[in-house]
Amino acid sequence: MQINMPVDDNVINQLKIYDMVEITGKIFTGRDAVLPKIVKCIEEGTCEEKGIHLTGGAVFHTAVSPAGIGPTSSNKVDIEGSIPALSEAGIKMHIGKGSLKKETTEALKKYNSIFLVTPPSTAFLTASIKSRRVVAFPEEGMEALHEIEVENFPAIVAIAHGESIYDK
Amino acid sequence: MITRKEIVDKTAETLLKASTVFRPDQLEAYKRAAESEDSEHAKWVLNNIIKNAEIAEDKVFPLCDDTGIPHVLVEVGEDAVVPAGFFSAVEEGVAEGLRKLPGRPMAVKGNDYERISQSAGLSEDSSDLAMAPMQIRRISGKKIRLTLMMYGGGPEIRGKTLRVFHKHSVDTVVNEMIEWAVEGAKLLGCLPCILSFGIGRSNLEAASLSMEAMAKGNFTVQSEMEKKITDEVNKAGYGALGLGGKTTALATFVKVGPQRASGIRVVSMRLGCCFDPRRAEWEFEA
Repeated sequence: MQINMPVDDNVINQLKIYDMVEITGKIFTGRDAVLPKIVKCIEEGTCEEKGIHLTGGAVFHTAVSPAGIGPTSSNKVDIEGSIPALSEAGIKMHIGKGSLKKETTEALKKYNSIFLVTPPSTAFLTASIKSRRVVAFPEEGMEALHEIEVENFPAIVAIAHGESIYDK
Repeated sequence: MITRKEIVDKTAETLLKASTVFRPDQLEAYKRAAESEDSEHAKWVLNNIIKNAEIAEDKVFPLCDDTGIPHVLVEVGEDAVVPAGFFSAVEEGVAEGLRKLPGRPMAVKGNDYERISQSAGLSEDSSDLAMAPMQIRRISGKKIRLTLMMYGGGPEIRGKTLRVFHKHSVDTVVNEMIEWAVEGAKLLGCLPCILSFGIGRSNLEAASLSMEAMAKGNFTVQSEMEKKITDEVNKAGYGALGLGGKTTALATFVKVGPQRASGIRVVSMRLGCCFDPRRAEWEFEA
């Protein structure tokens, strides 16, 4: 299934676990260093003034370095811990790798957001990038909040609507 | 006579090859695994990894964005003369290779406290990433063989070095190794895993033997012990990328060292990710 960013609830409602998708459009990237900072912005209500528009968006758990992009483990405390708040603030898709806790599955269900995984195929994924820019927190370098424009970025739905492939 | 330039250039080339190229036995293991899978999702992941390897080799681009910490094994022939400055030339070659790759700029700056807490930031220069201390072995002949491996971070989270009470049974030790691997594989995102084990007398020796297992392991030549571990781990059914299927582990490499008269064996496990071992070698005629 082709997904064009940004997405709304109608798109999310059509997706179920094990669905294979290709994503085209602009997505955020962030990992351990910056995601807790975004959560703080959400709590303080300062996202919009920093140019961070989360509604209908996706966050790919990766750094953006000269060595390319590739999913880091989403079950790291700082990353998984950001998923509920980001979902509540409008992020519809979290993309990474590794299993997540039941509490996170529940939070995703509550805010109608989903978790997708993608193989750590850096050479392949990096070839899908059409443009990139730093959105916020440039002091974090490769771990800053980036926006990348991707074309036919491959992923598979791992958690959706309270169901997880890791419970199978 | 080996020149310094030759050592630097060949080390840099070896680092690039280790970081961007699947070896034939590695590729064959992936193709066999993809063919054996019934699940379309598992096939999709395994074929994606193969496609990634083709692009990486073609474009000389990193297989994985976690380009890893360089680890070097140097095997010195009994009749070889190691030229003055050999080790610093290898270090220079590693730095040159990281610049060319380019490696992920992940060297942590600062004093002891700042490096531990990562509070003084990162270097922007890929080549500032120091390699791990070299391991040295003796071999016969006149060659100096350099094996370069790139250690990604995920396996370091799931790896383990610990004593095992063997109770005078190989099965006791092997079953413990399988248990560690299954436990770690459940949380490793980048499945299938490639397992490397060293069994020795001390924590350092076991870890060093695990590195040697990784340096020498061949995906298509598996011992009875290695095959048993792979097969047992695959029964867990986590599958490629955790999506289920037959391939949780692609292969296992084991190196058993000398043992001491004791009730324990020290086992070191690297639960390697799907690109492990990122490895290449070069032989210098000394």
